[in-house]
Amino acid sequence: MEKTAGKPIRCRAAICRAAGEPMVIEEVTVEPPQPHEARIRIICTSLCHSDIVFWKMKDPPSVFPKILGHEAIGVVESVGENVSQVSEGDRVIPVFLADCEECVDCKSRKSNLCSKHPFKVSPWTQRYATSRFKDLKGETIHHFLYVSSFSEFTVVDIVNLVKVDPAVPPNRACLLSCGVSTGVGAAWKKAKVEAGSTVAIFGLGSIGLAVAEGARLCGAARIIGIDVNHEKFEVGKKFGVTDFVNAKNCGDKPVSQVIIEMTNGGADYCFECVGLASLVHEAYASCRKGWGKTIVLGVDQPTSQLNLRSVEVLNSGKILTGALFGGLNAKSDVPILLKRYMDKELRLDEFITHEVKFKDINKAFDLLVEGKSLRCVIWMDNE
Amino acid sequence: MCKVVHPVVPYQFETASEGEAVMETAGKVIRCKAAISRNPGEALVIEEIQVEPPKAWEVRIKILCTSLCHTDVTFWKISAGPAANFPRIFGHEAVGVVESVGEHVEEVKEGDLVLPVFQSNCGECRDCKSTKSNSCSKFIENEYHNTMPRDGTSRFRDKNGEVVHHFLFVSSFIEYTVVDVAHVVKISREIPIDRACLLSCGVSTGVGAASKVAAVEAGSTVAIFGLGAVGLAVAEGARLCQASKIIGVDLNPQKFELGKKFGLTDFINPASCGDKKISEVIKEMTDGGADYCFECVGLSSVMEDAFNSSRQIMDQGWGKTVIVGVEMHGSPISLHCYDILKGRSVCGTLFGGLSPKSDIPLLVNKYLNKELHLDGFITNEVRFQDINKAFELLHEGKSLRCIIWMDN
Repeated sequence: MEKTAGKPIRCRAAICRAAGEPMVIEEVTVEPPQPHEARIRIICTSLCHSDIVFWKMKDPPSVFPKILGHEAIGVVESVGENVSQVSEGDRVIPVFLADCEECVDCKSRKSNLCSKHPFKVSPWTQRYATSRFKDLKGETIHHFLYVSSFSEFTVVDIVNLVKVDPAVPPNRACLLSCGVSTGVGAAWKKAKVEAGSTVAIFGLGSIGLAVAEGARLCGAARIIGIDVNHEKFEVGKKFGVTDFVNAKNCGDKPVSQVIIEMTNGGADYCFECVGLASLVHEAYASCRKGWGKTIVLGVDQPTSQLNLRSVEVLNSGKILTGALFGGLNAKSDVPILLKRYMDKELRLDEFITHEVKFKDINKAFDLLVEGKSLRCVIWMDNE
Repeated sequence: MCKVVHPVVPYQFETASEGEAVMETAGKVIRCKAAISRNPGEALVIEEIQVEPPKAWEVRIKILCTSLCHTDVTFWKISAGPAANFPRIFGHEAVGVVESVGEHVEEVKEGDLVLPVFQSNCGECRDCKSTKSNSCSKFIENEYHNTMPRDGTSRFRDKNGEVVHHFLFVSSFIEYTVVDVAHVVKISREIPIDRACLLSCGVSTGVGAASKVAAVEAGSTVAIFGLGAVGLAVAEGARLCQASKIIGVDLNPQKFELGKKFGLTDFINPASCGDKKISEVIKEMTDGGADYCFECVGLSSVMEDAFNSSRQIMDQGWGKTVIVGVEMHGSPISLHCYDILKGRSVCGTLFGGLSPKSDIPLLVNKYLNKELHLDGFITNEVRFQDINKAFELLHEGKSLRCIIWMDN
């Protein structure tokens, strides 16, 4: 096979040219990696609801045209200067949240928010405010969340790459690139769910079910799943959900009241996994006073507001917080979760409900929008 | 039905020793002086009150001194709605001596030096047993705290026999009060009583907010909105935790000099920020926002400012905001949902997250070891008859804590 290192690669990518419109598979040119970057050949990628949020968004920080996708797994094709952590042929998982392993925050186990490369929704590569993608007309195509995995080849900064064991099946490993890590991490690392706790999860998509899986691994005694789709209960049971509340069937009662009654005062930990400020309020209200923690994982519109009653905040002692990537430090924690999967402790297989080929990527979007899938894996064609 | 009428012992019954006086009044109604608030916002009036003996699990306390906390003022001003309960005996920060105890009370006895506290600590419920929370769940929530917590009745009657409401389960603007044992903390006699009084509410709240709720780490940056006694107690707590930067925010420039004594390293007067928002100024000073922000005023707009001043760079946030101030207008705190997703957190606290019975004695020891500074909080002293002066001084922003001494 022809050596591609150091030269631009021509390959196919699914380009998003306008908000809400289907992706179009086009040929793009992918520049070689700059210093601290690596060019990755994507093996497979999966659709996450955050891709949908930014697909539909017309206004900044959403920009067009762009290559979406941020949950994936690939192989290093070539590296730029100053890259020693990975080399050609390595199996890697790209992660939207940087882990430089050098700054105080990355070194601390208390935070996963790198201060050297703070997360922001950016249309460029991590370091250089430039793009590596051009379409055939020479027009710049923007990056997405520092990953852009809906392309046969992409360029990712080393701080956003985790080297992983190639023995793990790629269509399982790719889930740890975002969604499942976020959910499991939120329970395990951010909330630190203790054995015997009661947990309430608002929204039983992949994130919510990953929270349930994480809570199950932590030994939670009760995992209450809240959703408007009754089918999610059966699915949820596979992930440890013990009780189900259909938010549509509560009659006059707000969901929070139902939960407070079920748990004799409120759940120890509440997770919002949908992305609606109104549900954040509901989750906060469902939380036990004194030590209750509400953790926001869902992505709502950038302008949406929360309105909290200050007397309630004062008197309840409850904590309201959120987490990116479930509070995990990518480079140390993703390998731990992969090992737990290989040891048959962590469940990943059940998250995958559909698999499609790259050319049918829009089917993945349809399935998720219609609520028919958890994770749909998109295989690049040479796999 | 035969109603038991307790014989009334007039207050001026003096005896040679404290021990004898205590035994004489036990089991009987005490007539004594109280500063009663009859109408919202009006000066308190010293009147004679009848104080019933303690029922089961209650303690009657002879107040030695008390101090005015802004929460008293907040509720004193409320003129309508269910939170307005008049006539009422305010005061909830105090120190006293046990005069007599009701049935089942074993943890304190006559003559013990005690602090009454608004925050209950029964020691038995799930919350009291947990180290993670101080919200004792023993009693049914009484949002208006105008009675005794266990049976919902009052121990106070005025000279016409009319009920006078309690306040925050303490009611310390009176010579003798009745408090549930879950709200009573026994303390060492070594600490001067006016210093001890401060630990009954304000200073404990502030120090706890910093050391327990926020758990400020050494080297952290802290921003404190509102430099009253509670805000300065937060500063004191942050100083003890070795915060590297303690920024005080207040509209009164005199608070800076005062604040330096409590560990303030920087001061911002929002009125002098020009076009810039206070949160922008703080973010510039701290390279992205303070690690911990404390709201110690009780205004939603300030709570929002505090939240927006907590550390956040680009789309990720670390900063923790602790709400300490009591807001009584019902206006909501409005936050960007995104800011929560990115990682900033917000929580509130009553009594600085401290469990009174275990944590107040620790603070007493810290004072006796000269680690915790309390003296600077006392800026004025008045006699009980001049209690309204304490309200004036606080209203004019001229005092931190004014100690109100009972007559003997």
